[in-house]
Amino acid sequence: MNGEISAGAPLVVNDVVCGFCGLGCDDLVVEVTGRDVRPTASVCPEAARLLRRLDTGAGIGPASGEVYDQARILLGSARAPVFAGLGADVEGGRAILDLAARTGGVLDHAASGGLFANYAAAQRTGWLSTTLAEVRNRCDVLLVIGEDPTAAFGRFFERALPGQALFAASRHVIVLGGALGAQARRQLGAARVTELAAGDADGDPVAALSALAQLVAGPPPRGSSFGGVAAEALAEAAAALKGAAYAVATWNAASLERADLVAERATRLIDALNATTRAGVFPLGGRDNIIGINQLLLWRLGYPLRTAIRGDGSEHDPALYATEAALGDADLLVWVSAFRPEPPPEFDGPVIVIGHPDTEFATPPDVFIPVGTPGVDHAGTVFRMDSIVSLPLGALRVATLPSVAEAVRRLVPAR
Amino acid sequence: MRIRLRGGRVLDPANGENAVARDVEFLDGRVVAATREKADAEYDLGGAIVMAGGIDLHSHIAGGKMNLARLLMQEDRRAYPEPALPQFSGSFCGCGGGRAVPTAHATGCRYAELGYTTVFEPAMLGSNARSAHLEMADIPNLDTGAYLVLGNDDFILRLIAAGAPQEEINAYVGWMLKATQAFAIKIVNPGGINAFKFNARSLNLDEANPHYPVTPRNVLTTLIRAVTELGVPHPIHLHGCNLGVPGNDETTLATIAATEGRRLHLTHLQFHSYGTEGDRRFSSSAARIAAMVNANPNISVDVGQVMFGQTVTASADYMAQYRNRGFASPKKSIGMDIELDAGCGVVPFEYRDKNFVNALQWAIGLELFLLVEDPWRIFLTTDHPNGGPFTTYPHLIRLLMDRDFRNAQLATLNKAAQAHTLLAQITREYSLEEIAILTRAAPARILGLTDKGHLAPGAVADIAVHDEDADREAMFSRARLVFKDGRLIVRDGEVVDLAPGTTHVVRTDFDSAIEGKLDAWFDQTVGLKAKHFAIADGELRGGRGPSVLNCVGGAS
Repeated sequence: MNGEISAGAPLVVNDVVCGFCGLGCDDLVVEVTGRDVRPTASVCPEAARLLRRLDTGAGIGPASGEVYDQARILLGSARAPVFAGLGADVEGGRAILDLAARTGGVLDHAASGGLFANYAAAQRTGWLSTTLAEVRNRCDVLLVIGEDPTAAFGRFFERALPGQALFAASRHVIVLGGALGAQARRQLGAARVTELAAGDADGDPVAALSALAQLVAGPPPRGSSFGGVAAEALAEAAAALKGAAYAVATWNAASLERADLVAERATRLIDALNATTRAGVFPLGGRDNIIGINQLLLWRLGYPLRTAIRGDGSEHDPALYATEAALGDADLLVWVSAFRPEPPPEFDGPVIVIGHPDTEFATPPDVFIPVGTPGVDHAGTVFRMDSIVSLPLGALRVATLPSVAEAVRRLVPAR
Repeated sequence: MRIRLRGGRVLDPANGENAVARDVEFLDGRVVAATREKADAEYDLGGAIVMAGGIDLHSHIAGGKMNLARLLMQEDRRAYPEPALPQFSGSFCGCGGGRAVPTAHATGCRYAELGYTTVFEPAMLGSNARSAHLEMADIPNLDTGAYLVLGNDDFILRLIAAGAPQEEINAYVGWMLKATQAFAIKIVNPGGINAFKFNARSLNLDEANPHYPVTPRNVLTTLIRAVTELGVPHPIHLHGCNLGVPGNDETTLATIAATEGRRLHLTHLQFHSYGTEGDRRFSSSAARIAAMVNANPNISVDVGQVMFGQTVTASADYMAQYRNRGFASPKKSIGMDIELDAGCGVVPFEYRDKNFVNALQWAIGLELFLLVEDPWRIFLTTDHPNGGPFTTYPHLIRLLMDRDFRNAQLATLNKAAQAHTLLAQITREYSLEEIAILTRAAPARILGLTDKGHLAPGAVADIAVHDEDADREAMFSRARLVFKDGRLIVRDGEVVDLAPGTTHVVRTDFDSAIEGKLDAWFDQTVGLKAKHFAIADGELRGGRGPSVLNCVGGAS
């Protein structure tokens, strides 16, 4: 795209790829007029909010050379930096990793709480999973654990369970511990929905899910209700899952309490189902390219996020190197958030923010380097939540701010 | 930059040179005829062996399944931390570590130390291709390329089921090769990964998919014809049906017969050479299968040798991996159905020398190496990391070259397994020249890389120098010198520099009428636009793009 469009004639851009929530929609329609960006179709509320740009003339400009100098001084004197947020495309991630290789420090992403709740189960026993196109075409029974996914992934049901499928003869959604809202119902169209309430104050979705997994695996547990759900209702759900040609279990670990237990029980449930039919887990998550940054760390360092580079080696610890814990021992926070104006967590020491120009700070950081947004100002690559598919983001307008990669590469000291 | 290697002995089987004492000269990354001009650098080799850089045509080095393996097997990573690197002044070089699933950086470094300069990832899923290419861009010191997995994708199964004309299949294959930036076509368990999604737990060569009236034989013959007609240099790279199942020898023999004389590469043949004789119903069929390979010059194979120790197996063959997950050690595994495309299974595995099955697997692989007669049609692989890590290649080379060593190893294995193999009676020892064929000359030839795998003028200056040593494991463990595109990257077995590699891809002609169908398929069924599925040249190797081999089709 280019910005030399006269103000009166908006350029309609079709098939825009969205990198915000991790669902990987790539059919958005956006109008671009000069520096203004207005999403017009195929957008969820979050994408509409994060894509929209109105050029008020009061926009923030690129950081000066002195600001970069100050950042280099802070990096040069830090003994234990934490690189957190990490909301960046893959190329931005590469630059951050190259910088951390020089300075040492901890690497973690703002959204990794959910990821590591899931990994607690996955690394112990492994799991059997599936991806979006399989869910779209095969899934005849979908178990949703926890709240309506539409809240965080606005087009989830439209994307995951469209009316047309290659193989699924019917669609049945079983919600355990939550209720579907109007948006979800509309997207689901003719699909059957069963809601098993366990989300009330006295409900216990983990207990209900444990019982469901046990009902599938056998022998059935004894009792009249589990976690606030009647045994008969759970037995019916278990029968539906066992009778499915392709059952899928999904949950958003970021929105669940005891998400690690949910992931573990769901994994066990899917494992049991695969003894006689086919099934997979489809964990939700993946905002701000956390999956892409995690994949990058895995092939570059051999470890996922929450890894520290220390001396001449690196080590991974999902508890010790979580942002909040790591900040306890840190002397510098480098916060990266290019996808959204998300301020850094509170920290007593010096803070460098490489972030969205609209970020509002409770306490101004020592250094603020505003950067463009991947998919708006810069092309880049982001990963979808299933970790298999990655997508090319395009630029919608000429950038006036650097990309994360460009900004961070200016900070790397010459060896 | 002109570099001269003096006093080496050139082992270049592609050009009939067997330890010929002569100088080797290269200018700006290409081998040139020897001159008397002043060189920028000269190396006196004192009789060391000079070969083209090694080429591994089957090693899992990139893609989502390797990251899943890294995630699952943190033990491997912790046990093999970053090496101390005095030549990089002790600073953290971002190298990573790991042995069974090393990081991208460590993969490039460890291969270079062994004298390898080109490695092909043999199982790239189209849906994961962008990720695989991003990862390959971070592998230093190696040129790479990837084989695209086809034959379990619902698009092609629907085409075959509908009786689509071969021209349409060819157009699809040509489009997919371009869109995914692939170098060849791999078939993994033809149609079986797809059948598993419909809850089939096995699929034989002539058994129809539960959903489509399509058999593995249909998939295989259709895709053999496609790559033949498109002119893709490497034949179909086949991971056959029934991997690891005792009795799969019959499937393998029937698969060879199914080619009716057309070219086919059977990969990790060791895992497909199992009989059901003996009281344990597990036996070696290596002799039968090697005889069939010897009698069919259209067939090439790589072995997938099992090497004892801890590894992790990672395969697109979710059907087989699910079946074998009970053998996982440690007890954990990952499986994944993927994108109407294929799947993957990751199962940690420890091959134990006192275990009957594992010991016999080891012997079966060596039997295949020693009984297949033509070194131009068999390749040295462990199916890294599935049979063992590639870092075990020097040990494997010694097993092939040194009969006494081989028999001494055999004598330490599970006793029952020893009684089930004819390995001790096989007297063959590989020559150095044959090793050079297996690891350089022959892979270049079967991949159609005309400027690699040899040292004639015009060849890429990817060169490995090894000091002679009667202990062949020691000889091949540490290259004395390795040059990548004429640049010195290894000295005395240590990486001294990092050179960027390239990624090889093929392009074919194809009828672009297929694009309309693919646009609709991706948009409505897959849920991703075809134009976003496709990978631009500039996405490869950090913007440098691929090295393109244009295919000339028309053969049938």
